[in-house]
Amino acid sequence: MASITLENLVKHYGAVEAVRGISFQVEDGEFLAILGPSGCGKSSTMRMIAGLEETSDGGIYYDDKLVNAVRARDRNVAMAFETYALYPTLTVYENIAFPLRSAKWKSERVDEKVREISHTMELTDLLDRMPGELSGGQAQRIGLARALVREPAVFLLDEPISHLDTRQRHRMRQFIRHLHLELQYTMIYVTHDQEEAMAMADRIVVMHEGLIRQIGTPDEVFNDPADDFVAGFVGEPPINFLEGSLVQSNGTLSLRFRGHLIPLPESLQSRGDSLPSEIKMGIRPFYVNLRLDPDEPYDLAGEVFVVETLQDFCIVSIDVDDERLQVVAPLSARVQRRERVHLKLDPEFMRFFDLQTGKAVGLG
Amino acid sequence: MYQQQKRATPFGVLRYGLVLVVLLWTTFPIAWMIITSFKPADDVMRMPPVFVFKPTFDNYVYAIEKANFALFIRNTVFVAVASTVLVIALGTLAAYSFARYNTGEGHILFFILTTKMFPAIAVVLPYFIIFREIGKTSVGQALAVGLDRPGALIISYTMFNLPFAIWLLVSFFQDISRELEDSARLDGYSRLQVLAKVVFPLATPGIAVTAVFCLIFSWNEFLFAYILTRDAARTITVGVESFFTLRGILWGPVAAAATISVLPMIIFVLLLQRYMVRGLTFGAVRG
Repeated sequence: MASITLENLVKHYGAVEAVRGISFQVEDGEFLAILGPSGCGKSSTMRMIAGLEETSDGGIYYDDKLVNAVRARDRNVAMAFETYALYPTLTVYENIAFPLRSAKWKSERVDEKVREISHTMELTDLLDRMPGELSGGQAQRIGLARALVREPAVFLLDEPISHLDTRQRHRMRQFIRHLHLELQYTMIYVTHDQEEAMAMADRIVVMHEGLIRQIGTPDEVFNDPADDFVAGFVGEPPINFLEGSLVQSNGTLSLRFRGHLIPLPESLQSRGDSLPSEIKMGIRPFYVNLRLDPDEPYDLAGEVFVVETLQDFCIVSIDVDDERLQVVAPLSARVQRRERVHLKLDPEFMRFFDLQTGKAVGLG
Repeated sequence: MYQQQKRATPFGVLRYGLVLVVLLWTTFPIAWMIITSFKPADDVMRMPPVFVFKPTFDNYVYAIEKANFALFIRNTVFVAVASTVLVIALGTLAAYSFARYNTGEGHILFFILTTKMFPAIAVVLPYFIIFREIGKTSVGQALAVGLDRPGALIISYTMFNLPFAIWLLVSFFQDISRELEDSARLDGYSRLQVLAKVVFPLATPGIAVTAVFCLIFSWNEFLFAYILTRDAARTITVGVESFFTLRGILWGPVAAAATISVLPMIIFVLLLQRYMVRGLTFGAVRG
């Protein structure tokens, strides 16, 4: 096992800059997720770590060793692929044994190792099957088994479960997390699904347009996003943004949003000078509360657009002027379509971003 | 449970009627050729044609003894197999390169395709002159390249089949997932090992189909063989023509010779039919 360090990594494809100078470190035994929308450079980054793609600039280190010039097959990297990449002409057994055959292992040792990993991955009954006869979940378990059979220095997973149905995806998520805790491999997991990253990773690298937007624990990325992109990309249902200007009225610093004045939280009241005048506030749908009693104080008023009822809560979309906000409400709220409602925002969970740069402001 | 037998509908009758017409249309000439090859000389040209006669092998004996057909068959097999091996060896590597590395960004691939756009007759005269001159050199002598030498035909057929083979093979290689190759590279295999252990096994149906088409083309080719050979390197298709004599066309031996030349390919294709259909639909059925 090894730690991985990227230093100012750059990748061009002709004139296209896929990765534009990124640096981060993965600790030995850490589970790191690279999260971003498609085209953000996350797959290119992973392919460079694996040695499948040459770097245009910058360095990749395994422990302290620069590996830019080391061939993929000599890096001792294992990878699980989005499409499983099982060899269709080989049985499950031979698929798992494939990496060992290249290392010219004796057949008794191969057999022992294949049976051992099949047991761990719950595949013992499938060894004689051909890849065409497997479900997606089974195929990916075999992909993982083949990757893990030779005890790699680093284990890379490239959107390994994005083709599975919801139920299998959840099972595989737990299984991969379990594997990591059990085997303590250094793992890098590439995904566009923020839920996967949040559920599994120790730390998350959020990428966008070839650059890193934030590196942090799932909690940090969710609760203290470094900019409005991270705030908008992470979280389901997505965060609400309210754009407006800062105003002083009656000694209170407030955000003027359309016709409404929303007081800033206590901690920011004295720091008006350090804040930009044009600001974007983000607040997650969990922290916007419906006020049905018209006498209670409120921040915003709007009209219910639609109510989606889920198992034990509902997501209410509310039009405040021309802005549509999402609110998570208990089932007991019982609001109707087109009903006028009042909203109260929880000041503790308001996050602020510079409207021009998108960077978070007023932190700490 | 048994499905109820289908009633004969007007549409069904029409359908099978059409199938029957097409079947007769395609099989009758072949059947006529085979029947004629067994007819005694007197019955061959009789009008109206006779279908009942005393079968004889005279025509075959005549063709094989008089026209040295054994040599023609040997030549044909050698030229067809050698050019097919060459085409597949060059074509698979070229097609892989086009499919995987986009070599030449499509320009080279298009250029190769354009060489198929002019008729064979346009190049046969230059070929004749080129091979005549090469045949006079020591290199030409050593490699059996020259007029009436098999090397000339092998090179010509390779030139003519290669664009088609590359064009067919590129799509087969494009259908093979890149991730499979990536995976094998990470599993500790070199590029050449990946090609041998992962790519070629998956491309086998495509390579087989391409090889069969090349073989059939080379076997049936007439124009180049007619112009570039005389006796020693003569192939079957041209051999058939040798019964078009000054005294008239010897239809019996012609039919016998034609039957001999057609039969191996018919048997070959019938044996490989299922495999070829699978190969042609290879890309379409994969999930």
